[in-house]
Amino acid sequence: MTVTSLQRPFTVVSLLPRLLDTNGDAGNARVLAQRIRWSGHDAQVVDVHSRADLPEHVDAVSIGSGTDAALVPARDALRTLVEDLRVWSNSGVPILAVGTGWELLSWGIDLADGTVLEGLGLVAGQAVPRATRATDDIIVASKYGRLIGFENHARDYVGAEASPLGRVVYGTGNGDRTSGPRIEGLTMGEVFCTHLHGPVLARNPALADHLLRAVFTRHGLEYLRGTAAESVDETAQAARNQVAVRVGHSPE
Amino acid sequence: MTVTGPTHRNTGFVRSLRYAPAILIGRGVRVLARWRKPGGGSAIPGVVVNRIAPGFLTTTLNGFPLGLVIVTGSSGKSTTTKMLVAVLRAHGLAVFTNQSTANISQGLTSALLERVSLSGRITGDVAVLEMDEGHGAFIAASLTPRVVALTNVMVDQIDRFHDSEMVAALLAKIAARAADTVVINADDRYLADLGDALEPTVPVARYGVSAEVLAQYPRGLGYAETASTRLPPGTGMQLTRVLGRDADVEFDSVAHSIRLPARGIHYAVDALTALSTAQATLGQHFDPARACAALSAMPAVFGRGEVVTVGGKTIEFVLVQNPSSFQLNVDSLESGTEQILVIIGSDVRDPSYFWPVDTSGLGHVLIASGLKAHDIALQLAYDNVTVDRIEPDVPTALDAFLALPDPASGVKTIIFSADGMRRTRAHLGLVSNAGES
Repeated sequence: MTVTSLQRPFTVVSLLPRLLDTNGDAGNARVLAQRIRWSGHDAQVVDVHSRADLPEHVDAVSIGSGTDAALVPARDALRTLVEDLRVWSNSGVPILAVGTGWELLSWGIDLADGTVLEGLGLVAGQAVPRATRATDDIIVASKYGRLIGFENHARDYVGAEASPLGRVVYGTGNGDRTSGPRIEGLTMGEVFCTHLHGPVLARNPALADHLLRAVFTRHGLEYLRGTAAESVDETAQAARNQVAVRVGHSPE
Repeated sequence: MTVTGPTHRNTGFVRSLRYAPAILIGRGVRVLARWRKPGGGSAIPGVVVNRIAPGFLTTTLNGFPLGLVIVTGSSGKSTTTKMLVAVLRAHGLAVFTNQSTANISQGLTSALLERVSLSGRITGDVAVLEMDEGHGAFIAASLTPRVVALTNVMVDQIDRFHDSEMVAALLAKIAARAADTVVINADDRYLADLGDALEPTVPVARYGVSAEVLAQYPRGLGYAETASTRLPPGTGMQLTRVLGRDADVEFDSVAHSIRLPARGIHYAVDALTALSTAQATLGQHFDPARACAALSAMPAVFGRGEVVTVGGKTIEFVLVQNPSSFQLNVDSLESGTEQILVIIGSDVRDPSYFWPVDTSGLGHVLIASGLKAHDIALQLAYDNVTVDRIEPDVPTALDAFLALPDPASGVKTIIFSADGMRRTRAHLGLVSNAGES
């Protein structure tokens, strides 16, 4: 007998959406769940504010970005989940971490006042202050296609040089490097970290579908993009092209 | 009715003539600026006068018999200011007030120049100013307001202020200047804390909604953080009921009904802020019945829940300025509204901005338009809202939307960002916001 569906809804966990949703990045959980439904399967988003909220099964994890005032409470809350995060990342559960959510998974954050906020140490590298805030559209060439989003961060990221998400075509990404190509983001297995904040998965459905293939493969299932997603993905492409053209790049 | 103000009404004539040369020069510049560019150049006289007589603005603002009232906070400033002015005028006061401008110092100086006599005296009993938290904190140090009203602290990440703590600190700076009373929204945790910290040095007047009213809004009222407790009975003005455009406000355990200029909890809270601030400004002369009558008689507030008729069609305009107001407007929309046009323009630089909003309540949107039409359509799709058409060109979208027969239920509703509003008004030939005083 071939397995065609899960006996329970696919469960996407949104970690700390009260603290980490300044740019609407918690919406990425909504995007994953909706695309699963469009592919003909049941899906739910579970908001996790503390360990007690964890559902029995976790199929994908979304961590958003917050304000600097929320760094310490968010780090402390994530620390209680560090073992779970380790288990998920080691067993191929896709994790998307955006902005400060990514920084908190790192070795640590060098703050502007010279102090260091220790991170969870799950991914290599650390966040360091940059001279001026990077706030602009960003275009990244990646193996998941050309990713387009918006970045807004006051820190660079060092130590992701070995496994970036992609190469910066327009924008700042992990920071201004004096030599070599400029890079954006970090990947480690199915852990994806990026500065592209907000609905990065809605605007870049190819990346969303990569995460979903990982979700389905873990259960021996094949992910097929739903027909409802087709017109939505055309809308996303139009939105991406608009940004590309405005900053002097060709549409796709 | 007579209202007696502080005693500095008859200060020396000689002192007052100090600014006569600057006033004359400012007026001359205004004539030249308008001659060069008809209808424009309104801030230039202010720039000139502020340069040659830096004390003019603050001296004049501090010189009103009943003093200066400042309204500030993240959201609701304009509506609250207009409501407060209406209530004070209904009490027989001559009120000097401002339009919100990008640079408050220059805009205010220019506005004052039109009204001031050469002796530096201005006709009017009281000044009511709406201030942006940043510029407000900048000029507050030189002002001595009698009353400062604080509306709320909301998170608005494309704003210049990146976090709530910073906004609260700016508001605290303005509030610290109050000589008589600081009026605060006790449901906003940041303001409640600010009020508690100020209490020993200046009287604090609190207002808030009842637990029943708050329970109607499971997503809260949009504040960065809602205070954990409601105002205890008898400790401040309380909003006890909101239904559509009707609301009840309790003053000293007497309930009064008001009719709001538009539907929505945020208008009810703005009205509560205005009433509480009017009470602080007028003291024993505050007449609740008169205040509520004045508020209820106000025309619909411009561009937010305003109902207009264009070519025989009735349209409701809903302005969304930040995620909080977007959410509240979605939640307050009449259920069964079947014709909705959403216009998000170039002012929304980063489309991530609106993603914290749950737009699923819209159900069905006929057209998504504006420069960010594709981005808003994307969000609507993920929220299970059907979008029939994406048309970035605003005039084309408006023409198609208006050409549809009247809906069977609800009115034609246009939800727009500020840029969408400007384009809509321009295309439909409606008076622009700038012409409003």
